[in-house]
Amino acid sequence: MNDSSWSIFVVLLVLLSFILVGLRQKSRESQEYGFGGRYTGRIGGGAAIASNWMSAASLMGLAGIIYLRGYQGLAYVIGWTGGYVLLLVLLASQIRRFGKFTTPEFVGERYGSPAARLMAAVIAIAISVIYCVAQFKGIGLIFAFMFGIGYEQGVIYGALAVVSYLVISGALGVPRNQQLQYLVICVAFIVPLMWLARKLGYFWLLPQFGYGRALTDLAREFRIDFTLPFAGDSLFEWCALCFTLMVGTGGLPHVLSRFYTVPNVRDARWSVVWGLFFIALIYWSAPAFAVFGRLLEARHGIAFTPEAARAAADVIALKTALMAGLPGWLVGVLAAGALSAAFFTVAGLLMTGAASISHDLYYSFINPKASETARMQVAKGGTLVLAALVLLVALNPPGLIAEITAVAFALAGNTIFPLFLLGIWWDRANRYGAIAGMVTGVLCTVATPLLGGILPGVASYFPVTASALCGAPLVICVMIAVSLATPAPPEEMRRFLEQEVHGHLD
Amino acid sequence: MSRPDKPSKVNLFRPKEGHMRDEVHIILALLFGWGVCTFGFQFLVYACRGTGAGSLLTRLTLFNLPLHFWFTGQFLPLWFIVLCVIFNIYVDRISEYHSRRRDRSYE
Repeated sequence: MNDSSWSIFVVLLVLLSFILVGLRQKSRESQEYGFGGRYTGRIGGGAAIASNWMSAASLMGLAGIIYLRGYQGLAYVIGWTGGYVLLLVLLASQIRRFGKFTTPEFVGERYGSPAARLMAAVIAIAISVIYCVAQFKGIGLIFAFMFGIGYEQGVIYGALAVVSYLVISGALGVPRNQQLQYLVICVAFIVPLMWLARKLGYFWLLPQFGYGRALTDLAREFRIDFTLPFAGDSLFEWCALCFTLMVGTGGLPHVLSRFYTVPNVRDARWSVVWGLFFIALIYWSAPAFAVFGRLLEARHGIAFTPEAARAAADVIALKTALMAGLPGWLVGVLAAGALSAAFFTVAGLLMTGAASISHDLYYSFINPKASETARMQVAKGGTLVLAALVLLVALNPPGLIAEITAVAFALAGNTIFPLFLLGIWWDRANRYGAIAGMVTGVLCTVATPLLGGILPGVASYFPVTASALCGAPLVICVMIAVSLATPAPPEEMRRFLEQEVHGHLD
Repeated sequence: MSRPDKPSKVNLFRPKEGHMRDEVHIILALLFGWGVCTFGFQFLVYACRGTGAGSLLTRLTLFNLPLHFWFTGQFLPLWFIVLCVIFNIYVDRISEYHSRRRDRSYE
């Protein structure tokens, strides 16, 4: 078998085994499942957090952006880990005590406004769609790689595969085993890296440290200084990007709703620590792929030109594995890990997005008398509509995987994070403030693409991928100002916040 | 617990007595540690460019990685984990303390 048929074989094997394991588990303990999986303790909860987080952006995009931009790419590593600190200390236990599971539910309840709830639902769906575009790009690239076809064809086949996977696992009622998913994704990322390090003659037991020598060799043999800080980009750009990704992490709807699968607040907090550790395992490894990729390219005499590098960046991990002559099945394992991460992310986001269309838009606004069956049908149709929309955008992707994902984070950081932050920590915030804040947040996110041509200053303060450093504080100020200028929220809600959310131990 | 005569107030910068005040103290302390190490270090690297201290930051190596690259790429994620552990231990402790004061079993 050649490389690509090996990878098709491994990918099929992995996806099939998830269905089989899920089915076996379902028959064994059919009644124990709650919202999103059974309870497996703090470590299991951490693995679930990590598997929920792992996507094409972590497994393909991260190595790509570091390969392309060196030190600047580390802003992604820091942003996507440091965000969990914000989430844990500011929001995790409080939103759990608040007791609303999804973003639109929280906004609707806290601000007591159907309009704010509708806006939050639309924003949450928009975030899911942008996030999915990046995943589709990853899936398309891997399909193109496996079948040796063009990117457009790859995306279309990939989309068909994702939708059929959703339909099959939905029809069979397969529960998600997120612990197993994390294990597979992590092993599929790190074992090829260890093999790669060994093959290149570096310290392979911990390639996360072993790549240091490769960095030195890269500088000595080829005079490529990979680590130069702030070479092509400014300090502001680094910090803006990092901050955006951090507040975005604290505002991503599918990350926020993770805290409800654990039975008590204390375990929820500790599972965040484990989750962060499991995420960091992958993030410590991603730069190694980037460095090995650059080194191998330099050794093979492939020139590093901006256009070629940009085209290669998102598949640099696979390319590196091929260049180093890793065995075909191992390349397949690497592809299978990234593909299953993208698959499960898309499946989760499309399903929550469709549920939100059916519940928050259709049932709450268009047809409050809709029957259960009608709502189910809207949800099913919604999945297809969202998938088609994502496919349409992904056919002509606007940037690298990490960059597209960063836009979703910017939108989340500019809108949902301030809503939660003030909603939890300031009882005076009211519905007018929330609506004004969301409008400002959306404007900040789209400022550069819309107004960048007219007002050149906008692009430097609100970069497309990093608009939240200026955006989120601005939104918070707008929310405070508008809330103070309008009547206070009902005393009931303020008392609830004081006594239940912040006074559970008084 | 219910104080009907006094209007309710929740404000991060003016926490009420008891558990919330203790919790806010640790939150602000951790956010300080989070911000200084993440952004403060980048300012330091930027400010020291071209000076002796700057070349110290970029020439010194740890695990063969230049110091600044190691600090950002490897130490900071570890630091975030440490911060989360500190937070959890501290909050576990103050929750226990305050629920004992309230004479209620631990949640």
